[in-house]
Amino acid sequence: MARAEGLFGHAVDRIGGEPISSRMARRAPIRHLDPSLLLITLMLTVFGAVMIFSATASKQEEAGLDPATFLKRQVAAAIVGVVVLLVFSTFDYRHLRAFSPVIYGVTVIALLLVLTPAGELVNDTRSWFRFGAFQVQPGEFAKLAAILTAGAYIAERKGEMSSIDVLAVLGIIGIPMLLIFVQPDFGTMLVFVILAAALLLVGGARVRHLMVLTFVGFVAVVIALQSNVLKPYQIDRLTAFMDPNPDVQSEGYNLTQSKIAIASGGLRGQGLRAENTQTALDFVPEQHTDFIFTAVGEQLGFIGSAALLVMLAFLMWRAVRIAAMSRDLFGTLIAAGIAAMWAFQIFQNIGMTMGIMPITGIPLPFISYGGSSTITNFMAVGLLLNIHMRRFI
Amino acid sequence: MGPKDIVAASRADAPGIDRTLLRLAVLGLVFVALFTALFSRLWYLQVLATEEFQTLAKENRVRRIESEPERGRILDRNGVPLVDNRYSLSLTLDRSVLEQPILKRAVLRRVSKLLDVRVKELQAQLDDSTVSPYKPIAIASDVPHRIAQVINENPEDFTGIEYRRLPVRVYPQGNLAAQILGYVGEISEEELVADYFRKARPRYQAGDIVGKGGLERSYDTLIRGDPLMERIVVDSSSKVVSQDTIQEAEPGKDLITTLDLEIQRMSEKALAAAIKANRAAGYRATDAAVVVMDPNDGGIIAMANYPTYDPAIASDGFSTKEYASLGQKTPDDNTDDKVLNRAIQISYSPGSTFKIATAGAALALGVIEYNDLLPCPTQIPFGEGTGQVTFENWSSVDYGQIGLAESLEISCNTFYYQLGWEMESRFGIGLESGDETEKFQDYLHRAGFGEPTGIDLPFEGDGLVPDEKWLDAYCEAVPSPECEIGWLPGYTVNMSIGQGSLEATPLQMANAYASIINGGNVMVPHIGAALGEPAVDPAEADLGDEPSPTVSEPDGAAPSDSPSSRPSPSPSGETATPSPTGSATPTETPAVATPERYIRRFKTKVANRLPLDDRELAVLRAGLEDVVSGDSGTAVGAFSGFPLDRYRIAGKTGTAQVGPTDFNRAWFVGYAPAGDPQYVISVYMNYAGHGGESAAPVAREIFEGIFNIDDDTSDVQVTAGDASG
Repeated sequence: MARAEGLFGHAVDRIGGEPISSRMARRAPIRHLDPSLLLITLMLTVFGAVMIFSATASKQEEAGLDPATFLKRQVAAAIVGVVVLLVFSTFDYRHLRAFSPVIYGVTVIALLLVLTPAGELVNDTRSWFRFGAFQVQPGEFAKLAAILTAGAYIAERKGEMSSIDVLAVLGIIGIPMLLIFVQPDFGTMLVFVILAAALLLVGGARVRHLMVLTFVGFVAVVIALQSNVLKPYQIDRLTAFMDPNPDVQSEGYNLTQSKIAIASGGLRGQGLRAENTQTALDFVPEQHTDFIFTAVGEQLGFIGSAALLVMLAFLMWRAVRIAAMSRDLFGTLIAAGIAAMWAFQIFQNIGMTMGIMPITGIPLPFISYGGSSTITNFMAVGLLLNIHMRRFI
Repeated sequence: MGPKDIVAASRADAPGIDRTLLRLAVLGLVFVALFTALFSRLWYLQVLATEEFQTLAKENRVRRIESEPERGRILDRNGVPLVDNRYSLSLTLDRSVLEQPILKRAVLRRVSKLLDVRVKELQAQLDDSTVSPYKPIAIASDVPHRIAQVINENPEDFTGIEYRRLPVRVYPQGNLAAQILGYVGEISEEELVADYFRKARPRYQAGDIVGKGGLERSYDTLIRGDPLMERIVVDSSSKVVSQDTIQEAEPGKDLITTLDLEIQRMSEKALAAAIKANRAAGYRATDAAVVVMDPNDGGIIAMANYPTYDPAIASDGFSTKEYASLGQKTPDDNTDDKVLNRAIQISYSPGSTFKIATAGAALALGVIEYNDLLPCPTQIPFGEGTGQVTFENWSSVDYGQIGLAESLEISCNTFYYQLGWEMESRFGIGLESGDETEKFQDYLHRAGFGEPTGIDLPFEGDGLVPDEKWLDAYCEAVPSPECEIGWLPGYTVNMSIGQGSLEATPLQMANAYASIINGGNVMVPHIGAALGEPAVDPAEADLGDEPSPTVSEPDGAAPSDSPSSRPSPSPSGETATPSPTGSATPTETPAVATPERYIRRFKTKVANRLPLDDRELAVLRAGLEDVVSGDSGTAVGAFSGFPLDRYRIAGKTGTAQVGPTDFNRAWFVGYAPAGDPQYVISVYMNYAGHGGESAAPVAREIFEGIFNIDDDTSDVQVTAGDASG
């Protein structure tokens, strides 16, 4: 660095013995990138792509189709995801505080539209928009919209939340949640419940409020199971994991096959694309999406599955660390919300395949096949990087 | 300044760093707990419980498929099928459906509509106790292809329903020889551990179809065939992903028998007609049996039973209802049992037909010489003082001194009492003469009594030759005052005329006569002659071209003749008589012989030789001829009008009273042509008249059929008989 000339030159361009330019450069966002978060994101994405290929290739080949179809689509989504990640880490996330009402409005409109015939009816569920070859699931993006909007609202309160504020946050998260519930997409709806809880906890809601909400939530669950708010098949799916001897053709069948797949992987696994496995013989349903962990478990065994869990745990650690290091409460809330979203999805999804959680359709972050969820997750990583990079300015 | 200070300093809007960090820490702890749960569960599933689940995974995908093997056919001596196979398209219901009541009801309702059968009937089939617990339950057989097509097109409506092409036994000759052919069914648990099946290789397994009776059982290991065994891997929709063959299918070999379809048919007809005639004459005539045997090689030419059944009802397994129709309605009375092969399974006192055995024993033991004479008084006392017992002849005429031949002709009881008494006196049980005791019994065993003949049919009866051992066992079971005394000479005396506790099966009687006829060889009777397979090229066929079942006897006797080259059974051989197999009765079913290639011929076996020389045997045969054609023979009436000048018949009648009733067990054992015997016929009828009256006419009818004799009185009649036994 060139030294300033003159009498005061020395004093002006230095603060505390350090040149200002140097100090400025030290605070530049790019210098505070979290490369390990980027790396783990890419590792998980590659891991997921491999698993998607190995879970779908046999069936595709058998049908005389390109075995790499699902892989190619997932890679395409990941490429879009990388672009989105770059975009979402470039601008200062704090601008989102101002924009959050707009984002929220657009999201709610999209969730309303998807319920109309504009949305595509798949398996009696209206969760998708179709644009030619592409499908978009607004519910996925709505999770981030809810985090941003609720986070912005709570950050305004500066950590002091009255009862009204708590209700307002519940309202902000509740509206998209209800719209998703009527699609119906029970699993995604549950993510919103978790988001509300996490944001209220980290955002500073009083312990009293949290306890009341916990109690209300408990009562709501009991009522939901007792009344006919949920359809019988939904209740069946939710309670099947508690049935030790499931019927062959009921929901418990999927669970049994899923457990068999994971457990028969043993310590070392049967190997990728091994023949005569639960995976190859298509005994596990939805194996490239909701039940992808069964493919991991059977083919890679405990070693591979544990490695995946370690990678996911590392991802979680980085997210929580960013929440703790954020310069402002808004950043903390976004990071904590994203962490809670992932944590719940990971636990619910993997727990479901191993029979310790009810069966609900939630993708495993970065591993399950699906464009909307992949792009949403890359967007979330972008936001985390954004918060991390800008923790000094 | 460390980074943490910078963070703290920059939190202008934070309510307090510590509070937010604390709350984040709570969230982090929850995350740690969740990941811990996932790790633990993963460890349990993949490390601790992996073996159990790997087994489940295997059960999921690997199935062993075993097709029903095709059993060999059973053919008569000319290659005409007696038991054949056909394929039936059957519907089966998987057992797993039974445990899902709603699904079961829905599926049954659809099947009922499709087959036009009431749900109740289908349900009854599922509930039947005879249904196999190892296989899918058959709910319909002989289903049209159209219905299979419907099921194939709508698999979701017919969960658990499958259609399979199963080989089914068919009986082209109807219920002909039903008890001899036997029937097939699924192997029972008792059979699985029974020696007969347990020792066979390859092993029998639960669910296997096996012969349950008759030839189907005794030749099961040879004709059952090997099933196609495959190991298949299926995917979740039960689609076969891969399969490898563990064992290739091999159809069972055909069993070629010594049975002659036409003679079998004539025998059954004659028997049924005789039952009818006897009933018309006032007898109960509950049951009867006939054995037609080749005396030279022991081959069974026909074996008929009354009552009989249609084996076709067993072709898809007996239902409980079908089983009940087979008789044995009262536990102690087997006279209505239709499955029983009375010719080998039932033994009764043979009456006077047994006299040749007594005569043979007396000759062999030197009690009488072939040309000796003995008196034939109306009665004869044995013993002394208070122990004296008087035995009476059936006739009130004293015949004076007679020889062995005449004793047979007139069936003189007192003649044989003397032989019995003499044998008892010299070799009796009460004597202290060591090895010399029970020589009469020893001879009888040697002649084939008191033990199975060894015929290739299951469940053969022993008959009974009373001896001391038997008496001890009997007295232990049923103690009576007489038991105190021990063996009485009267037992032997009664036995000598085929009465008392002595019992023989119709087959044992036929075999005993065969040995007298063939020069003293006690044969092991047999029905199986050879194993074969359908000839692909008819030129290779053995049947029709070559003498069929060649039998070589161990003692080097000449092979028996094939049916086609069997000499015309004319005593003088001067006239060309029609072929013996030429039918006297019109054929109901076209009997088509199929080209057959022989694989293996069974050898005939001689069990024993009678210790009698030719002169002794000749005397006995002369007596048997006189029974039919002598002046005072007991079967003369039964054969009156028979062209004995052309076809000399010999034989012996027998009569034994049925317990406390007025009915008799009627016997006749005869053979023809007397000069060169080709056929021994043994007839037995229960609850009938005398032997000459009820049994001999059956033999006559069969002989007439065999020799193609046009007879005005073609129907069996109950001939007014002698009072003789």
